[in-house]
Amino acid sequence: MRNNRAKYAFLMPGVIWILLFTLFPLGYSFYLGLTDFRLGREAEFIGFDNYSEILGLDGDGGDDKALSTAGFTAFLAVGSTSMTLLAGTFIAWIFNHDIPFVKQMRAIITMPLFAAPIALGFLGVVIFNETSGPVNNILQGLGLPRVNWFISPWGARFAVLFTDVWQWTPFVFIVVLAAMQGIPEDLFESARLDTKSNWLLFRHITFPLIAPALGTVALLRLVETFKAIDIPFSLTRGGPGQVTQTYSYYTYEKGLVGSFQLGEASALAYLMVIVAIIISAFYFSRVSARFE
Amino acid sequence: MATISQVSEAPSQRSQVKSGQTFIIFLALVATFMALWPFLFAITTSFKKQIDSTDGTVIPWVQYEPTLLNWQQEFGGGGGDATFKALRNSALIALGATLVATILGTLSGYGLARFKYGVGNKNLVSWFLSQRFLPPVATVIPFVLLFKELKLLDTLPGMIIVNATFTLPFAVLIMRDHFAEFPAELRESALVDGANEFTVFWRIALPLSTPALVASTLICFAFSWNEFLFASVLANRDWKPYPMLVAGSDSVRGIMFNFVTTRMVIAVTLPVILSLMVQRFIVRGLTMGAVKG
Repeated sequence: MRNNRAKYAFLMPGVIWILLFTLFPLGYSFYLGLTDFRLGREAEFIGFDNYSEILGLDGDGGDDKALSTAGFTAFLAVGSTSMTLLAGTFIAWIFNHDIPFVKQMRAIITMPLFAAPIALGFLGVVIFNETSGPVNNILQGLGLPRVNWFISPWGARFAVLFTDVWQWTPFVFIVVLAAMQGIPEDLFESARLDTKSNWLLFRHITFPLIAPALGTVALLRLVETFKAIDIPFSLTRGGPGQVTQTYSYYTYEKGLVGSFQLGEASALAYLMVIVAIIISAFYFSRVSARFE
Repeated sequence: MATISQVSEAPSQRSQVKSGQTFIIFLALVATFMALWPFLFAITTSFKKQIDSTDGTVIPWVQYEPTLLNWQQEFGGGGGDATFKALRNSALIALGATLVATILGTLSGYGLARFKYGVGNKNLVSWFLSQRFLPPVATVIPFVLLFKELKLLDTLPGMIIVNATFTLPFAVLIMRDHFAEFPAELRESALVDGANEFTVFWRIALPLSTPALVASTLICFAFSWNEFLFASVLANRDWKPYPMLVAGSDSVRGIMFNFVTTRMVIAVTLPVILSLMVQRFIVRGLTMGAVKG
């Protein structure tokens, strides 16, 4: 009995905190999404009208901006996930060798993860600057054409993508390195009798054994980029036009800038919540067994 | 996780191929430099005069004449007040949020590691961690309205609440994993000696948790320090944290690179230094259970 009281005394403060500050706001936001609430106006209950307007179920076409910003978000999520996985795995493979000062170099490589994304966006403004930025200077030095990073739509899309990739590659690196270090060395020793090719060793031993970690980290990366807003906010302000506006950014503008359409913005946000719930259910079905 | 020192003691995958070794070290240096140079570029630009700030040069004294002007402007005179105030706000918000998240995370983490709950521990842990998956724009709108009702807009307690909420998963995860490794015999022998669960936690488990507590504290602090989205909506005057100042750098006369990079360097220095102190816990703390770490 006493034991039981202790059991819940430890757990409950955290549970209550999340009920109050996450689940209650989420419930409230669901309700707001069912109204036509704007700041300074009475809210009226309109059922699922916001949703049918956004999704175009009411017959006069959906919300074009929601669609195009969702498109850019998908580009960013897929592009950044695949590029960080490739680069991070490669760097992890490099560091899984006998290298002096591994600890120090590993520490430097993880630094971008801890930098405020809002600041990195501004750093991107300086680095991708068309005339003075080092990126264009390096391209020119290599005999490649200079890129109009902020004027051309694809330039801007890739500037946002590369900044995100730069920040998050270290994340994939540390996870994959940990997974590689868990592979028993004798597996390689016996395989080396058959082949000297590093590629074959990677392909047939390392890769199959790190594949589960790669799958898990891919899901985490997808979720993280899918929420992205800080980097496009400071790097491109969503421009040129709104080609680099993410879905989160669009929702933010809809609800919290200008006409403050909180009802419609909540409905927009809720569509994201649904996707987030699906991805997180999938994610935790993969990893949660070890929490038992 | 095999520690790095263990790995380097073991014969490496490649140690027979000595010629390849130099190339591998070269690649490792390139990767390290790739992570580092944007920071170096920001630092060097922050010591430039306005007129030199867009000329593409990088080496002070050789290529351009460095100046402390940007740093003096940021910390001295009229601008200095705003800087110090924003840094103070950031520090207080991050400290408060870290304290709340670490206390709640330690208690819940201990419970989840030591007891079995009816709904399933793995479901509870997943439930705690899944807060990290939610898009912040979904909760920021209800927070504006609730905070307006509760008079928490632009206040320290309000900012602490939002930051503690979104860093709590880090704390729960780090502390649960830590307590899960805590030897059960220690706890059981103390219980046999008549101590109750709370005494065991307070006198035995907690004093042996310093490294995990430090890691949880530093990671929560760094992520609260960097938070921008909630701050931009919920604290735009008195309790404006430093990232808000960074975000406003381009408002006056377009972007002055020398000035923006100075603010950027200020914003990233503290969390980056903290990250160097928690290397051992980064994998565990940031990956939401993806790897055991």
